[in-house]
Amino acid sequence: MTLRKLALLVAAVVVAAVACGGSTSSGPTTGSTIILGAPLGLTGSLTKESTLTQQGYNLWSDWINARGGIVVNNVKHPVVIKYYDDTSNANQSAVLMQKLITEDKASFLLGPYGSAATATDAAIAEQNQIPMVEANGAAQSIFNQGYKYTFGVLSPANKYLQGVIDMAATLNPKPTTIAMLSADDNFSLEVADGVNTYATSKGMNVVLFKKYKNGATNLSAEVQAAKAANADIVLNSGHLQEAIAINKAAKEQKLNAKIFAYSVGPSTPDFITALGADANYVYGGSQWTPQVKYTPAFYLSVADYVAAYKAKYPGLGDPDYHVAESTAACLALQRAIENAGSLDPKKVRDALAALDVTVFFGQIKFDSRGINIYKPMVVEQIQNGAHHTVFPVSVADAQPKYPTPSWDQR
Amino acid sequence: MANFVQLVILGLLAGGVYVAVGVGFGLVWGVLNIVNLAHGALVIVGGYLTWQLFAAFHLDPFLTLPVDAVALFVLGYALQRGVINRIIRAPLLFTFLLTFGINLVIINILLLIFGSDFRSVTPTYSGQGFEFGSVVIPYVSLTSLGAALLLAAALAFILNRTRIGLAINAIAADRDAAQLVGIDLRHAYAVTFGLGAACAGVAGGLIAMTQAITPTAGEPYTLQAFVVVILGGLGRVSATVVGGLAFGLVEAFGQSIPGSGSVFANAIAFGLMVLVLVTRPQGLMGRLR
Amino acid sequence: MIATLDSNRRWRRIFLIVGGVVAAYALLAPLTSLDAAVSANVPLLADRLWFRIATIIAMFVVMATAWNIIGGITGYAAFGNVAFFGIGAYTTGMLIAKAKWPFLLALPLAPVLSAAFAALVGLPLLRLRGHYFAVASLGVGVAVGELVQNIDYGGQPLFGGASGLFLPIYSIDNRGLYFFYLMVAAAAVSIAVTWWVLRSRFGYGLIAIRENEEAAAVLGVNTTAYKVAAFALAAALTGLAGGIFSQWNVFINQDNTFPIEYNVQMILMALLGGTGTVFGPATGAILLQLLIQFLGGTLPISFDIPFVSEAARPIVAQVILGLLLVGVVIFVPRGVIDFFGGRTRLSLSYLRRSLRETSL
Repeated sequence: MTLRKLALLVAAVVVAAVACGGSTSSGPTTGSTIILGAPLGLTGSLTKESTLTQQGYNLWSDWINARGGIVVNNVKHPVVIKYYDDTSNANQSAVLMQKLITEDKASFLLGPYGSAATATDAAIAEQNQIPMVEANGAAQSIFNQGYKYTFGVLSPANKYLQGVIDMAATLNPKPTTIAMLSADDNFSLEVADGVNTYATSKGMNVVLFKKYKNGATNLSAEVQAAKAANADIVLNSGHLQEAIAINKAAKEQKLNAKIFAYSVGPSTPDFITALGADANYVYGGSQWTPQVKYTPAFYLSVADYVAAYKAKYPGLGDPDYHVAESTAACLALQRAIENAGSLDPKKVRDALAALDVTVFFGQIKFDSRGINIYKPMVVEQIQNGAHHTVFPVSVADAQPKYPTPSWDQR
Repeated sequence: MANFVQLVILGLLAGGVYVAVGVGFGLVWGVLNIVNLAHGALVIVGGYLTWQLFAAFHLDPFLTLPVDAVALFVLGYALQRGVINRIIRAPLLFTFLLTFGINLVIINILLLIFGSDFRSVTPTYSGQGFEFGSVVIPYVSLTSLGAALLLAAALAFILNRTRIGLAINAIAADRDAAQLVGIDLRHAYAVTFGLGAACAGVAGGLIAMTQAITPTAGEPYTLQAFVVVILGGLGRVSATVVGGLAFGLVEAFGQSIPGSGSVFANAIAFGLMVLVLVTRPQGLMGRLR
Repeated sequence: MIATLDSNRRWRRIFLIVGGVVAAYALLAPLTSLDAAVSANVPLLADRLWFRIATIIAMFVVMATAWNIIGGITGYAAFGNVAFFGIGAYTTGMLIAKAKWPFLLALPLAPVLSAAFAALVGLPLLRLRGHYFAVASLGVGVAVGELVQNIDYGGQPLFGGASGLFLPIYSIDNRGLYFFYLMVAAAAVSIAVTWWVLRSRFGYGLIAIRENEEAAAVLGVNTTAYKVAAFALAAALTGLAGGIFSQWNVFINQDNTFPIEYNVQMILMALLGGTGTVFGPATGAILLQLLIQFLGGTLPISFDIPFVSEAARPIVAQVILGLLLVGVVIFVPRGVIDFFGGRTRLSLSYLRRSLRETSL
């Protein structure tokens, strides 16, 4: 390229840049752009869940920007969410958090996926005094550290399967014994712990509690132990991968129980596509379902939210709770910024701490530790290949199909 | 007692998958001196093939196994011929690094093609089985074990009864001497790796039936392949079969330790492997060369 | 060793070039404080992101350099060194979180415990050769990580269990800078130790073991003691990095202190730079981490991959990383430090020659 051509090119670029700058002339009500950021596992072992998280964040940013942005003192601030790939690695997540804060000048942070990354990032948010609203780290240990800048919109881990116990207590004949299987990661163990301490108060006995290695590929011996325990309820606290493996092994080994309930897994469409008819009758503890009935103070209704999801991500079925809770994190942040009437991180932090609002996801309110213990978990069951909400009755759209028929009678 | 019998059966059945995973890994390691860190990724490629054929054409998953084997053989042959052959004279550790890079490439290409959804093959007869009193033998696992043993037998046949197999054995014994007697090393190496990959592909097909797969789901299998191959002893297919079944049993009984003991199943397996290495480096079944 | 005539010139060049890179890297940090950097108008130095990346790089410099002592100089391909990182992290973490020790008192115990553990497992393990040693050390690495996460005592997890350990946030001015200097100091120590090893009787013994263990024994080298000492030395340095990491990162669990992929990464870095040399592993660590951070989009230099959608971009970046690794392993089998070695230059003919040397 000759020097002259280069000069021409540079000139053209400059002109174009000036033209662009001119065309986005800000109206009187549009202010600076608010930059939010989240490191997510866009590659690596947490890709599935991270993608769902990103979908949830994107649904909200589309919506808020279609309205011109977050309104602070009558000034509209458009929103940009910056994503980086942490390759499902918690240490890299911390680097990217720091990049978002230092370089991208992110005003506020959204959470990564997973308890390990969330715990690491919470420390970064704390040191930089930037609020982080997260939707995918339910382990309470993160919130027991006295951190002031981390908020979780989701119900804590110990609540995940308590709804199933509550529901079971209302059924006839009432199941009384529980076999509890749990992966050995932080989140899953807190879920299991919640069951172990809660069951007796509902007149049930945990007759088997078995931990297995997180990410185990073969769980037939665990299922065999559950079969030997001959319990009415078989609970699994783990992840989608293990839930599918356990359900397959349960059928193979003729493990029959009145209730099969898994903490994570049944709510995702993958669970049904992977298992086909064998997915039927399985219960899942869920942060949210597309059938819940909450009256939102702002943003979309539940039905509109589901419709918006299907319009933006066609062919993926209903949004599952990972998507919904991620959107809810954005909503909590939005409302806190509006309430604070400021973009100052400390003021927004205080507004988050004082927040109490109901949206399509349910009530969002944080306890003194920063986690949302006020929203109930719901129980869903797969009936004829479709998700139905069966408990609490106030939000249910179907009766639980109980007891689960034995495998040879399906 | 019935519980004990059931555990033994479950362990042996699970061992079938480990045999399938192990034989290919052991072959490549024993003959080519390559520790293939991409083995798990190749396993998952086979898993996706089976799933794709099952989902798109409703092909019975067991019938897809030969397809997996052939496709993975071609892929493995090409990988060895085009890439890995280039560093075969470099120090041993370089094979770690090269296959680590290949692993990264395969996983992420799978992610581009198939996305991160969890996939599993659930044929209509999945979950059915023989019942003897309270002891159950599921068809799928039993057939999987059969398929794995058949695979091992086929591999042993190829290695011991065919021309190329004898060439591979010759290379394992002495590479330079093999070259002197006119064996085309490049071709023989590529065939060896192709056979290893084919075994991985079959293993993947079996795995897609018992669990859900994602592009990254192969990583535990690479680790387990180490244990299986070491437990049995490097260099012979029959030893790997023993190693795989032993690993299945160790895992089943490790998991059946009451209470929280089962989380140590992995630690027990790896601890056992270290113990075997230190006390009996030729493996449970192996011979010292 | 063949080119003894060249070796002086060669070492001087290596020292000048790589030492220059390392020194420049270390000196990029401000000598006083963040405020001074800001007022001096050096934005890079005021950047906590830069400190975080630089600290991670220094951490890998320690790990790769330490691995080089056992893997490169002694020729024993340790594949489970991450166990020492984890043990170091947990030693410091436990002492701070549970016993409430001050950080600087807890830190020295990290290398001590790591080295003790290495000596203990090294005695039986180092009798194995080649791949067998690699696999056995991998097994130890995996098993230790699982034990740390799952051991209970009296119904309570002994080492924090699955929840991991949360350390109090170390309150000190310029926290990022503080840990950056600590980690760089650890890196400097590990490089200095390597430099000393390569010039000592001990180091000659190790090299003799690598070249021919039987011959070394015949020459009177106490091979067992030498190997175990080298293993323990590598473990001590790795454990030191782990100890610093625990307080720096505040949160430790099995995921971030026993990641199996670190085993691969430290070997990769050492090979990339050049094993058996003083600065090779450090150079490899800096190059590879910068590459990872660059492809991850963390560095200020941004890049575009044509024809790739926004969603596929991180995935394609990983594919590119994998292809680059494959390419480097194939074309630069002696490590990049070889370019600076006096006799070779990076050229097409060099690439062709190294390809010919290693292929079938």
